[in-house]
Parts: sequence; structure tokens; C-alpha cells
Amino acid sequence: MLLLEYHNLLLKSILTERFNSATPASIDQVISDFDGVTFHISTPETKTKILVSISVKCFSDLVQHGALGVLEREYAGLITDVEAGYDFSLIVDLENLPAEPEEKENLIRRISLLKRNTMAAPFEKAIDEHHRLAEAQKGFTTETAPTGEGTEVMVIRYREEEAMYIQASHDRVTVIFSTVFREETDRIFGKVFLSEFVDARRRAIQNAPQVLYRNDPPLEIRNVAGVKDDGTGEIGYITFVLFPRHLTPQRREESISHIQTFRDYFHYHIKAAKAYMHSRMRRRVADFLKVLNRAKPEVEESEKKEKKTATGRSFRVQA
Amino acid sequence: MANQTPAVVMDNGTGYSKLGFAGNDSPSFVFPTAIAIKGPTGGGGGSGSGRPAVAQKPSYLTGGAGPSGHLSAKRGTEDLDYFIGDEALAQGSGPGYGVHYPIRHGQVDNWDHMERFWQNSIFKYLRVEPEDHYFLLTEPPLNPPESRENTAEIMFETFNCAGLYIAVQAVLALAASWTSSKVQDRSLTGTVIDSGDGVTHVIPVAEGYVIGSSIKSIPIAGRDITFFVQSLLRDRGEADSSLKTAERIKEEFCYVSPDIVKEFTRFDKEPERFQKYVVEQAGGRSVTVDVGYERFLAPEIFFNPEIHSSDFLTPLPNVVDTVIQSSPIDVRRGLYKNIVLSGGSTLYKDFGRRLQRDIRHLVDARIKKSEEKSGGVKSGGLEVQVITHKRQRHGPWFGGSLLGQTPEFRSYCHTKAEYDEIGPSIVRRFALLGGPGQ
Ligand SMILES: Nc1ncnc2c1ncn2[C@@H]1O[C@H](COP(=O)(O)OP(=O)(O)OP(=O)(O)O)[C@@H](O)[C@H]1O
Ligand SMILES: [Mg+2]
Repeated sequence: MLLLEYHNLLLKSILTERFNSATPASIDQVISDFDGVTFHISTPETKTKILVSISVKCFSDLVQHGALGVLEREYAGLITDVEAGYDFSLIVDLENLPAEPEEKENLIRRISLLKRNTMAAPFEKAIDEHHRLAEAQKGFTTETAPTGEGTEVMVIRYREEEAMYIQASHDRVTVIFSTVFREETDRIFGKVFLSEFVDARRRAIQNAPQVLYRNDPPLEIRNVAGVKDDGTGEIGYITFVLFPRHLTPQRREESISHIQTFRDYFHYHIKAAKAYMHSRMRRRVADFLKVLNRAKPEVEESEKKEKKTATGRSFRVQA
Repeated sequence: MANQTPAVVMDNGTGYSKLGFAGNDSPSFVFPTAIAIKGPTGGGGGSGSGRPAVAQKPSYLTGGAGPSGHLSAKRGTEDLDYFIGDEALAQGSGPGYGVHYPIRHGQVDNWDHMERFWQNSIFKYLRVEPEDHYFLLTEPPLNPPESRENTAEIMFETFNCAGLYIAVQAVLALAASWTSSKVQDRSLTGTVIDSGDGVTHVIPVAEGYVIGSSIKSIPIAGRDITFFVQSLLRDRGEADSSLKTAERIKEEFCYVSPDIVKEFTRFDKEPERFQKYVVEQAGGRSVTVDVGYERFLAPEIFFNPEIHSSDFLTPLPNVVDTVIQSSPIDVRRGLYKNIVLSGGSTLYKDFGRRLQRDIRHLVDARIKKSEEKSGGVKSGGLEVQVITHKRQRHGPWFGGSLLGQTPEFRSYCHTKAEYDEIGPSIVRRFALLGGPGQ
């Protein structure tokens, strides 16, 4: 597995199972997802009505940037009163499912993408903004164009200590992640990993977004409230620059999905790299042990003293 | 914190892994503990932990360019190219991938595979950032402390998980039985019969502590029963006698009878007891398999092992009785009163009832004898109770889910900070979760 999926596998498998089964059953499961997202899937009233609720840490940030609009567009007809303790709820009536298997599939897919769609709003907004600015820019030549300063930076505090910053301008959308490393080792792995990103772009994949990594806040967000430079290097800033080719109507959905999973992808690969190192270390230890075992002096059979336990039983020490 | 993340509960068994979040009443995922990686099956050339494949020169002399299949010769993303669970079995049946089972007899056998199995479990299936969650893992009885340390090393160093608790499966199985109406006091004293895929353990537990010296294991479990069913199907020359069919028949049709001789005559009198199982084969064909005496004969090997093997001959009820008799005298009463079933292979209908009857016979016979010997002094009797409950199937997982959702759970865990301070040896001891006074 190289990439992480965008949908929640468990939501998907529960819904698939329920949609295709003739006997209704009650469900009550709390499901965690990345970035402090929690789902609750349950059948509170009858077994044929499935309630799916989501709670997102940064929901208020997202709402500010139009999350409700996106959710209404994606889940028209399914939205219901918000369950206590959660931020947004959907209800599916098993007795009123679409007849076509493909449409059923589609419904399952949409619901299992609930987290992705909830988080998509600020990105959508930034891309729309970019298109608007680009349009406005068209009438000017390079000299006369007003220097596009870009829109105000959107801040999504999606984790306790980490945030996403998004800014649109006429020729790009900039996404900055702040990321905290508690572990020295992780930080080093992270750096290597990111420089590999930069390299890959230079070598082969020229149309990938530009990636920059630094330990102090990048220019774009210096003035944003809450961003501080503590000088310890514990916080790193990763900047992605999405160019117009990533923002075309055909590509934007994919781009939004990709960039959302970046942090988890990043951390997943740091951990995978550590697992890989560990297996090499185990192997090396096994090699050394072999050498050591060969170096063991052989003891003559007759010299071996018989050892006895307290109860008088004897045992052999295995060579 | 108001909105705490739920603890992740993982019960990795020989046959199946149960994964999910504390507080739920069933695991989110149950799939085979199997991993499919590139290359042929079984040790040879793979990245086995104990025996590296390199024969002549250690890898540091060949400078990493070792023989093919050597880990360090791989430069791409091969280390991410693997599958676990059902996907592993699907991939393994085709060319290219070999299937490995990282757990043997309940204990982790290959740490490389286990580490990757966990990695995929956490990121692909559960989808959690381990740094945000506490983990509750399970271990078999008599797990060596080194094995615990290895687990902690992986959990803390690779995954940076926030906190870790490793619980003995038997103790969790006891906690799971609290949901039964037959259990009045939430005690952690009892005898657990844990029968999964690979082995069956009989484990006496007193106040949450496993009485290690009295544990007995029986080399008969789910897999053997499946083989037994398969051999009967083969003998009769059924149209389909694959392992998968045998397992399905076992799970759907088998039950425990009170008396096999009578059961045979009942089958002869009531032909509707013979049933049919329809197998959908690949390619859309379906064949019908007759299901006969194996319905009650298969689970009978717990009670009469001689019908299956000649090496192990002690019936399960006698093993249970011996285990309790070899435990300290002051806990025996509690052990007889609370015999708890756990694991997939205890699910046969009437399994608990038969067990209870047979153990009671043994106990009563002994009491009678001692009464005779003492010249007619009446004994107060001894209560024997076998607890069958709804959560039996995933008993250890469910017990973990119950205990993992309690507010005090986190204070029983070892945290990442403590691990960094003290090192792997910290996990040799855990305070008893759900112990007395809660
Ligand atoms: N309804 C059923 N009746 C009988 N056997 C069953 C049933 N359901 C599952 N099993 C058997 O239970 C076994 C799996 O049990 P379980 O998941 O408890 O094992 P495990 O935890 O993987 O193994 P272990 O505890 O030995 O490490 C399989 O052999 C399966 O065929
Ligand atoms: Mg088990």
C-alpha cells in the first residue's frame, strides 16, 4: 500500500453489508479516523434507518469557509438533525435505497467519503477564488497587471498543534502544513523524506506541485495570528504550490483528495521507513549472532558436567 | 480532555485478528492473521527474523548487494508491497506472492511480518494516527517477557503510540463474561477455556492473576476439527471436500450431543437430521455436499479425543478438573463456579452444557469417594458452572473493549514518555486492569 485511501474503509464495509442484506440489524459503532475525526454509525430508531454522524475538530473553521454548502451539495436529501456531540449527521433509509446497483455503490462511496468532503470546503473555496482572480487578470498585460497579492490566508486548525494554511492567488493556490515532531528520529526521517519529494520533482515528475520545507514560518503566513517562530525547530512548515494545471475542473477533485491526506501519508511513510530499518537491524543482529556462534569454542562431550536441579533432575545445556 | 480518542483494541490470534475501538460491542475488523509478500512462501529467501537468507557472507561484507531476495538489495518501494488479511489470502492464491502467518500457537513468530501486519492494520484498516491513541493488545498465557518487550519496541518506537497496555487474553475473556446474566459479581476469578484456531488453553485465573503453573493446553482446536470434518467428507467421497467447505460445514452444522451412541440411533430414526450443504464453486457451478454424522462427531473429539488422534487422549472435562485440582486450594471453589468459555471453537451448540455435566460428574464422584472414606461425613457439595455468553466468540477482544473504555484505563497504561525514560523492560509489569475495588 503506497497511498492511503480517501474513504473510510469501515464505513464502506458496514454500509455495503447493510445495503445488500435482507435482514436488518442494529448497528452502534464509534469509528475513529485520521486527524481527530470520529464517526458514529448507529440505528437509533429502527433497524432500517442508519444514522451516520461525524465530529471534526476544526468544524467551526470549516464552516467559516463554506463547509455546509459543500455538504449540502454532496448529501442533498440525506441530511438530518445533528446528533448530540457531533457536528454533522446523515440518515439513510434502507427501505428507500436506489434500485440500481451502481447507484447504491455510488451512495456508499459518497457516504464513506464524508470526512474528505467535510474537509474539502476551504480547498474548493481557494480554487474558485483562484479562477476568479485569474479571470480578472486576463485583460491586463504583464506590466499593467495589478500585483496579485493573493487572498487572505485561511487557517484550518485540524489538529491540536498543527494547522493547514490555504491561500489563493491568480496563478496558484498555496497550501502550507505546519507539522510537529516530538521525536528526534521522526524529524530526521521526515527531512529525508521531504528532500526526496523535492528531488523527485527535479528528476522526473516535473508537473508535480512545488514543495518547500522550512523550520520557520514561510512568508505567506508570518502575519497570521497564532503563527509563531519558537526557534526550536520542533515545528516544520511544508509548502505546496498548486499551479493552474492542478486546478482545472477535471483535476481539482483529485488534487483536493490528495492534498488532504498529505499529513497522514507523510506520517505513515515515516513509520514505514522505521519498520523497514527495524527489519534490517533484526537481520543484521541475526548475522552477528551467527558469527558469534561460530566463534564459540567447542566443548568436549566428556567435559560437559551434568547439572542437577534442586529436585535432582538433570538437564543438558543446549549448545 | 472532553473529547478523548477511543483506545484501539487489537487481539491478534493464531487464526484471526480482531481489531476495533474500545467501547464498541464488536470488533470493526476480523480477518485472518496472514500477510502476503512478494516471493515464495515459507522462510526461504524471505525476511525471516531468526534465520537470514544470506548463507556465506553476512550482509555487511557484501555491501548490501547480497543474493536476490535480500532486503537491502531492494531499492524501490517493495517493503510496502504486501497485503494482509483476506486480501493476503486472495493474493496468495495467485502467482507472485507468498502467504505467511506471523503468529504461531498464539505467539508472535516473525516480528518483521508482525510489524508490517500492524502497520497495515493501523493505517489502512483502522485509519488512525497511532500518536493520538492508546493501544490495548492481547497476549496468550505464558507469553515470554521478551516477546512483550518486542511488542513494546514496535509499538512505541515505530508507531510512537501514545500509550500501551498488554493484557492476557484469559483475563479479558473473564471480563467479557460479565455481560452474562449468570455472572453476579464482577470477579476476575475463574477458569477460562480459550479455544481458537491453533490451541486450546485451560487457564485458571485468581483475582486477575493467571496461575501459570496450573495452565494446561490441549493440542485440539478449530483447525483439527476442520481437518476431521474434511477427512470424513473425503472418506465418503463427497463432491467437494476442500478445507473451506469443511470449515463452513463445521461452523454451520456442528453441535455437541449428550451421548454419541444415542445420537447415532436418533440419526437413523430421524432422517431429517442429515442435511445438505450447497457449495458455490468458482465458475458459477454449485455442488451439494451431504452432511451427516460429522455434525456431532466433530466436536466430540474434545470429549473423546481417541476418535481423532492417538497421541492425546485426555478428555477436556478431565483436563479442566485436573487444572483446578492443581490450583491453590483456597481458590478452587471460585474456579469451579466460574468456568468461562472463549474463542471461536467453543461456539458449538450445547458445548457448555455437556462440559458442565461432565465436570460435575467428575466432581461428584470424587466427593462421594471422600465421603465414603471419611465414614459418612456429608460434604457441602461444590457448585460447578460453565458460563456460555453472547460475547464468547470474540471474548478477549470484547473484554478489552470493556476495560479500554473505562475512565481509569489510561492510568494503567505505560506511556511513550515512560517508555523513553525506562526502556522496553517497562512492559514486563502492568497494574491489573479491572481488578478488585472497581
Ligand atoms: N460458529 C462456530 N462454530 C465452531 N467453530 C467456529 C465457529 N466460528 C468460528 N469457529 C472456529 O474458531 C476458530 C477461530 O477462533 P478464534 O478467532 O477465537 O481463534 P484465534 O484467536 O485466531 O486463535 P488462538 O486463540 O488459538 O490464537 C476457527 O477455527 C473457526 O473455524
Ligand atoms: Mg484467541
